[in-house]
Amino acid sequence: MTRKQKRLTIIGLAGAVLAAAIGLVLFALNDEITFFTSPTDLATGHVKPGSRLRLGGLVEAGSVARENSTVRFRVTDGVNAVPVTYTGILPDLFREGQGTVAEGKFGPDGVFAADTVLAKHDEKYMPKEVVDALKKSGHWEETEGKGYPKGN
Amino acid sequence: MIVEVGHYALVLALTLALVQSVVPIWGTRVGDPRLMAVAGPVAWGQFLFVSIAFAALTWAHVVSDFSVANVFENSHSQKPMIYKISGVWGNHEGSMLLWVSILSLFGAMVAWFGRNLPKSLYAAVLGVQAWVATAFYLFVLLTSNPFARLLRAPMEGRDLNPILQDPGLAIHPPLLYLGYVGFSIAFSFAVAALIEGRIDAAWARWVRPWTLAAWVFLTLGIAMGSYWAYYELGWGGWWFWDPVENASLMPWLAGTALLHSAIVMEKRDALKVWTILLAILTFSLSLLGTFLVRSGVLTSVHAFATDPARGVFILGILVVFVGGSLTIFAARAGTLTKGGLFAPISREGALVFNNLFLTAACAAVFIGTLYPLLLEATTGGKISVGAPFFEMTFGPLMLPLLLAVPIGPFLAWKRGDLLAVAQRLAVVFVLAIAAILVTWWKTRGGPVLAPLGVGLAMWLTLGALAELAFRIKLFSEPGVALRRAVGLPRSSWGTTLGHLGLGLLLFGVVAESAWKTEHVLVMKPGDTLQVARFELTLADQRDVAGPNYDATVARFVVKENGREVAVLEPAKRTYRTRRMPTTETAIATFDGFSQLYLAMGEPQGGGVAMRVYWKPMVLLIWIGCLVMSLGGAISLTDRRLRIGAPTRARATAAVAAPAE
Amino acid sequence: MWIWALFAGLTAVAVLFVLAPLARGGADASEDGDLGVYRDQLAEVDRDREAGLMADDEAEAARAEISRRLLRAARRAETAAAAPRRRSRLVAAAAVVLVPLASIGGYLAIGRPDLPDLPLTERLAAKSGDQSIETLVARVEAHLAAKPDDARGWEVIAPVYVRLGRFQDAARAWRTAIRLDGSNERRQIGLGETLVAANDGAIGADAQAAFRDALKVAPQSVLPRMYLAAALGQEDKKAEAVDAWKAIVASGTEADPWMGVAREELAKAEAIAAGKPVVPLAEPDAAKAEPGPTAAEMEAARSMSADDRSKMVAEMVNRLDERLKAGGGTIQEWERLIRAYRVMGRTAEADAAIGRARTALAGDAAALARIDALAAEK
Repeated sequence: MTRKQKRLTIIGLAGAVLAAAIGLVLFALNDEITFFTSPTDLATGHVKPGSRLRLGGLVEAGSVARENSTVRFRVTDGVNAVPVTYTGILPDLFREGQGTVAEGKFGPDGVFAADTVLAKHDEKYMPKEVVDALKKSGHWEETEGKGYPKGN
Repeated sequence: MIVEVGHYALVLALTLALVQSVVPIWGTRVGDPRLMAVAGPVAWGQFLFVSIAFAALTWAHVVSDFSVANVFENSHSQKPMIYKISGVWGNHEGSMLLWVSILSLFGAMVAWFGRNLPKSLYAAVLGVQAWVATAFYLFVLLTSNPFARLLRAPMEGRDLNPILQDPGLAIHPPLLYLGYVGFSIAFSFAVAALIEGRIDAAWARWVRPWTLAAWVFLTLGIAMGSYWAYYELGWGGWWFWDPVENASLMPWLAGTALLHSAIVMEKRDALKVWTILLAILTFSLSLLGTFLVRSGVLTSVHAFATDPARGVFILGILVVFVGGSLTIFAARAGTLTKGGLFAPISREGALVFNNLFLTAACAAVFIGTLYPLLLEATTGGKISVGAPFFEMTFGPLMLPLLLAVPIGPFLAWKRGDLLAVAQRLAVVFVLAIAAILVTWWKTRGGPVLAPLGVGLAMWLTLGALAELAFRIKLFSEPGVALRRAVGLPRSSWGTTLGHLGLGLLLFGVVAESAWKTEHVLVMKPGDTLQVARFELTLADQRDVAGPNYDATVARFVVKENGREVAVLEPAKRTYRTRRMPTTETAIATFDGFSQLYLAMGEPQGGGVAMRVYWKPMVLLIWIGCLVMSLGGAISLTDRRLRIGAPTRARATAAVAAPAE
Repeated sequence: MWIWALFAGLTAVAVLFVLAPLARGGADASEDGDLGVYRDQLAEVDRDREAGLMADDEAEAARAEISRRLLRAARRAETAAAAPRRRSRLVAAAAVVLVPLASIGGYLAIGRPDLPDLPLTERLAAKSGDQSIETLVARVEAHLAAKPDDARGWEVIAPVYVRLGRFQDAARAWRTAIRLDGSNERRQIGLGETLVAANDGAIGADAQAAFRDALKVAPQSVLPRMYLAAALGQEDKKAEAVDAWKAIVASGTEADPWMGVAREELAKAEAIAAGKPVVPLAEPDAAKAEPGPTAAEMEAARSMSADDRSKMVAEMVNRLDERLKAGGGTIQEWERLIRAYRVMGRTAEADAAIGRARTALAGDAAALARIDALAAEK
């Protein structure tokens, strides 16, 4: 092989890997990302049932009911609330009146079937998406740079 | 007084960093050896003063001095001593102090081990190192001061976040930072080389041990963090593709590529420009990781604080250093001399192949991590990129690399013979195929890809061992094999162990993902559950009071064939000060590497919700990482990698002294 | 001022770090490290050839190439130009002036040299000065951490915890005292009342157990019996409640200070059992139509100790909360609940109530505005 051919082979290989990587990333970005929604989005029918979603809001007070290892609760943004079912063990800090993010599918029956439920990790932390959802529905106060949900 | 002395020492460290930023670089510009010589002692001074500051903060935590805001916010008088100490870096301000402490430690080490570097390179490297240090001292002092005081000292602190009160988290951040910050040395060397406009094989030899050391620490740090998440969070997962984890994975991938390209540069004087670029990118990714975690743009367990001023400051550091270094790179890279040529099929070619796929995989992780942030910043749309994205991109990009790993070390430099390599690896290939068939036969009906994964893991582990066997001529001349093994360069052992560890890691990942079993159920005392070949009985449940928490502990008796083999006690703790519950898992290891994993949920109707896992071969994941790190550490002891030759340098210094 | 002497010392050390190399000159002969690397490479080529990793002709070519580079590197080795002494003197002078100036200046802008260290043990040991309740509590806590089997200490701190609203800690303290030094009337009643307070006035199973344990050691004690009777009322066991109150009234004489309360409660229990509405008493400040505390409750409140009264208030607030949880409720009731929680210092519950009020009153813009105003008050 000549000098030029050697160089071209390597550049060619690099190009091929780059193309493959870009292809994979674009394909995966099209297919494997999860959109974030608020209870209001779901209630007002902006979302088509069956797709994979993340739902964020506060766990409605008094809405948690357990039945063996299945849990039912409602996630609210202060305006609308969506019923959620989840089978499994809830995170340590999952509590009524606190922020949560549920990931799963929104069924045609209007119930959100979650396969993952996240809660805040400590008292200072509130999932960012939940904060945004609450801000959007006006249930958020800013005080001295630190925000607190009004309906804590 | 001690606290304020620590505070003042930190300011002194900043002043010395400023001196170190200016004087030695000026010296290299005008060729004044006296000015250049300032770099070393001042780097020592920096280290001394930061150590004083760190010791003072540690003292404040140990004696519970709640007049220090940082202690009040993150400590509690009743906290066990080990967590009083680890609490020093278990919070934002303290962890940034640890960051600069490690940076100054590395600076002092360069000053010590680099004494026989060419003087101007020495001065330039330490000068660049001081630029980084200055930026971070300013960050600490201006936005995250751990020495801020409270005028009215409270009588009790707010305690450390309970999930951080764990031995794993006591050592995870220091290890991770040793990795992140260690890459700053490679960065400083790269920028110094660009400023000097000269780069050669010797440069690669000086950079390699620092990169290697940083890589070893980062590997250990990531593995430690992963194991911590595994046993502490109670979800049984060991990698979540969480942005914070990705933030540490990206520099690891780039650092691994750098490690390999530096070999080519040292041995063959090729890939110079690329190696310089990788050194810059690796540290840039470390800075990006620091930015992602510290600025609070991501919210997760690691984001101790969410303060926009800090975010903007770190973003500024990021832009200045990444932008600045890339600008210098663009301006000066052309002046670097081109190196040796090589055929595509050769050791160099294999290492280029490695670099291509590692950087492509790194780029995929980069996009997956930052795309949601970018989309939100531009369109306001909110998405989350989770495990499926990374499995679909990272997986396929790693596959060709893993297939090629055993082949690389068999290829000769410059021009390799693929056919000869194929002959040498034929046995390994046959064994890997056999492993696939056996696994497929034994686990019919299980996941389809799992046997292939086992085969790949076998290919990697046996390939690494085969390379060692051929090097020491185990089969052709068994008589002298042992002597050869002893005489083998340590870096060869490093290669073997590094690739072997990768194989073990893959084996653990495949087995855990394909054959784990999970049970979620409510159990009452006396209930029994069959998991894998074990029978678990919930014996009783009781309340226990710890030093700063109250716990409910369940006692499980594990029986195998009717014989008691273990007692497991998962618990739910509630920490008193923050009224925060945590899950304490109970884990028992069987067959060396497989684990039975119990996590406790909420009490329900006289019973308790339990999550029970059987995780076959799961320990191999972390053992693989340990073996990889061990390989790196052994490679680091290679005589040839120690910077310069100490004996010769000392002789030179002795001669030089009277001359002055 | 020791601290300034220390600062001066540290500053001097820092300046020395800059001055020492300038004075020494740092003019070690510059040695080009490349040479060593190339020599090692030559050795390695030999090793690789011996190990069979390199063909002989390749090794020769490599040797030649490395040798060429070795020569080039050797030629490049240059001597450092003799530098003028003046420059390093300038730097030294600048360091002597600027390092202390920048350090002290920077520190004074952010530091607090006037604030002493305050290690907790020393503060607790200090006899004089701060005698606030927090200090006292911290002192007792430190003592109990060192000597956790001091039952008397736990008994002393428990009521203080209750006063501070730290009910969980109080309950733990009572329980520890009982575990260490046995059960007695005072401790069991203390534990029971703490649990009631922690439970927002509801007399739960654990509190009832504590009161029953109190009766085991002091069967004639009145307070536990009253709580147990009230618990029956809370659990809607109307007939049993009436019987319990009757027994209490029968066990005392008119001279007993609690007799008035017992009679009122008996009358109330009988009224409830008979299905009659309990006559509401006008509330001092809010709208008269709302059901407020009963006459009996007000009467009882007057004759009770301050502690008992606050418990009764808590119980009433709790009832209001339960009712609003069950559904409905006017804006006035919501406001009363939120205010009550605020007054009692239970801000978290107040915030929670604000949230629930918003949900409950979602349709009513005027009511929402009033809730918003209330939320802004804090």
